[in-house]
Amino acid sequence: MSLSLPTSVFQWVHATSVLALLTWSGLAQGGSLTVAAKQHNGKPLSGAVVTVEAETPALPPAPPAHATMDQVNLTFVPDVLVVPVHSTVQFPNSDVISHQVYSFSSARRFQLPLYRGKPYPPVTFDEPGLVTLGCNIHDNMLAYIVVTKAPFFGRTDAKGEWSAANVPAGRYRLRLWHPLLNEPLEVERLIEAGAGQDLVEIRLSRGLRPAPLTGRPHSWDY
Amino acid sequence: MGLLIHRRVIWLFAVLIGTQAQAADWELALDLRAVSSDGRKSFLDDGQGKLRFDEDHQGIQLGRLRAAWNQPLGEVFSAHVEASSWDDDDKNPIDLTEAYLEYRPYPRAGVRSRLRLGAFYPPMSLESRAVGWETPYTITPSAISSWIGEEIRTLGLEGQVDWLGTRLGHSFDLQLTAAVFGWNDPAGTMLGAHGFAFHDRQTTLFGRVGAPQTYPEFATKELFHEIDDRPGYYVGAQARYLDRAVLNLLHYDNRADPTIELPSIRDFAWLTKFDAAALRVETGNGWTVLLQALDGSTYIAPGGNWLDWDFNSQSALLAKRVGAHMLAVRYDAFEVLFQDNPAEAGSEDGHAWALAYSFDRGKQWRFALEWLRVESDVASRVALLGEPAFARESKLEFSARYLLSGSF
Repeated sequence: MSLSLPTSVFQWVHATSVLALLTWSGLAQGGSLTVAAKQHNGKPLSGAVVTVEAETPALPPAPPAHATMDQVNLTFVPDVLVVPVHSTVQFPNSDVISHQVYSFSSARRFQLPLYRGKPYPPVTFDEPGLVTLGCNIHDNMLAYIVVTKAPFFGRTDAKGEWSAANVPAGRYRLRLWHPLLNEPLEVERLIEAGAGQDLVEIRLSRGLRPAPLTGRPHSWDY
Repeated sequence: MGLLIHRRVIWLFAVLIGTQAQAADWELALDLRAVSSDGRKSFLDDGQGKLRFDEDHQGIQLGRLRAAWNQPLGEVFSAHVEASSWDDDDKNPIDLTEAYLEYRPYPRAGVRSRLRLGAFYPPMSLESRAVGWETPYTITPSAISSWIGEEIRTLGLEGQVDWLGTRLGHSFDLQLTAAVFGWNDPAGTMLGAHGFAFHDRQTTLFGRVGAPQTYPEFATKELFHEIDDRPGYYVGAQARYLDRAVLNLLHYDNRADPTIELPSIRDFAWLTKFDAAALRVETGNGWTVLLQALDGSTYIAPGGNWLDWDFNSQSALLAKRVGAHMLAVRYDAFEVLFQDNPAEAGSEDGHAWALAYSFDRGKQWRFALEWLRVESDVASRVALLGEPAFARESKLEFSARYLLSGSF
């Protein structure tokens, strides 16, 4: 490794952090980051979407993925999907009856015509943001696609935890979102990470909205 | 409804279905009952009893034979047809309860509009939420829903605008409704004839209520006629909190001219106006609270003499659902006041309790057991039948319903 004289403070900080990384961890891949999310009442917040965008140094988004949002028994499966920008999502219909999937979210507006069974070309999501899905025939159907340009993202597990490995040292913008979050609809933190094993604990300041009701017969609210 | 209209509607459906053949959804349901009742002679049988199945109609009965058809017509149009048979003295063995075209474009920027054209129920019952406008909580709906099913149908055009707040990150949705309609001028005649009743029998579009013969003034009870060529209207609003609570308000006025009579059905245009409110709250552990209120008036003016029936009803239901099992209890109060005089034939005052258990077995079977008791003071029982005004009527009813559904 050849070291040149730093030309700015920023580059100097950057260089030292890389040096520190090499010295302390002995590995070039970076550190680990764990987010532990708790509800207002202290219970784990599972299913929350965590995105970690690099502020400095800049990192490219994760590579595009091919994901699936199915419709099973008048429900979107999964209820939340997180995909990198430029990903494609397939919308099959496993139900016998027809659905009309739509989104009027600014990140991606689309309408999938009345269909059942037959495959439909996947939808590409090029803009980061929250895409809310609905069915124009069945108003109770609701799901979300979070499109992110973050290099690190995922959902918290049953313990309310999510982890990323090989996080290069730097400043990151951590965002946490959950479909039942009360306003404000998103939690945002600026963090330093990547120097070692970092743990970020988030506890919501307000309670969650009630979860959607389940188990009601489909013959209701026809 | 006139034969010409009838033909035109059928022609329209035929053309639309023929030119836009797409996969349609259908349902076929058979609902059989076992009934034990001490009900007075039913209002369906020329009596002043409050129940559909009186003491002369016990044992095995046909609850309802129902066929439904939902035909998509292109991307955003669809046709809906509901037909039923009630196995009583109706004019047609099977007839329509609803038939309409729906225009339902995709929402834009959180707002969705919807149009319905044809024959359908106004959006006012949070109780009749199951397919076929049935209540899932009990076998017999509340006095309010029973009356709506008996006398009220929109034969016209309805527009709705929804603000889908829950799709924009908020906790609320809002809806506004407005409609213009005709062919419902006799609405109110049943309240005048027998007051409120407790039954799941929905009057068919080309049918009638019962087959009354004794009293010429009530000789024909056909509800869906245009008598005065004046359209009626209703406006409504609905607010929803997530999928947990719904508040529904409706103001209805059929704007009938009560001085005009239609000799062919020997009935007047009944000027009927009412306000209806309903609130339904559901919890995550299976509880449902449903409150309904109705308050209105209906008038006829034979020879310019105005006759006035004020009516009101309130209903409270509490239900608990555990898996496929549901237990529900409901209280109803109802009153009709003729010429501001409780002793006049036409006035009544009563209340009712219902207790029901239901069990859904898969998507096909539904079993329900219901006990219903109605206590009422009906002045017409004295004046028309020479019976005591007061009656306590009880019914124990078991329902087994088999539902088949599929697609073409």
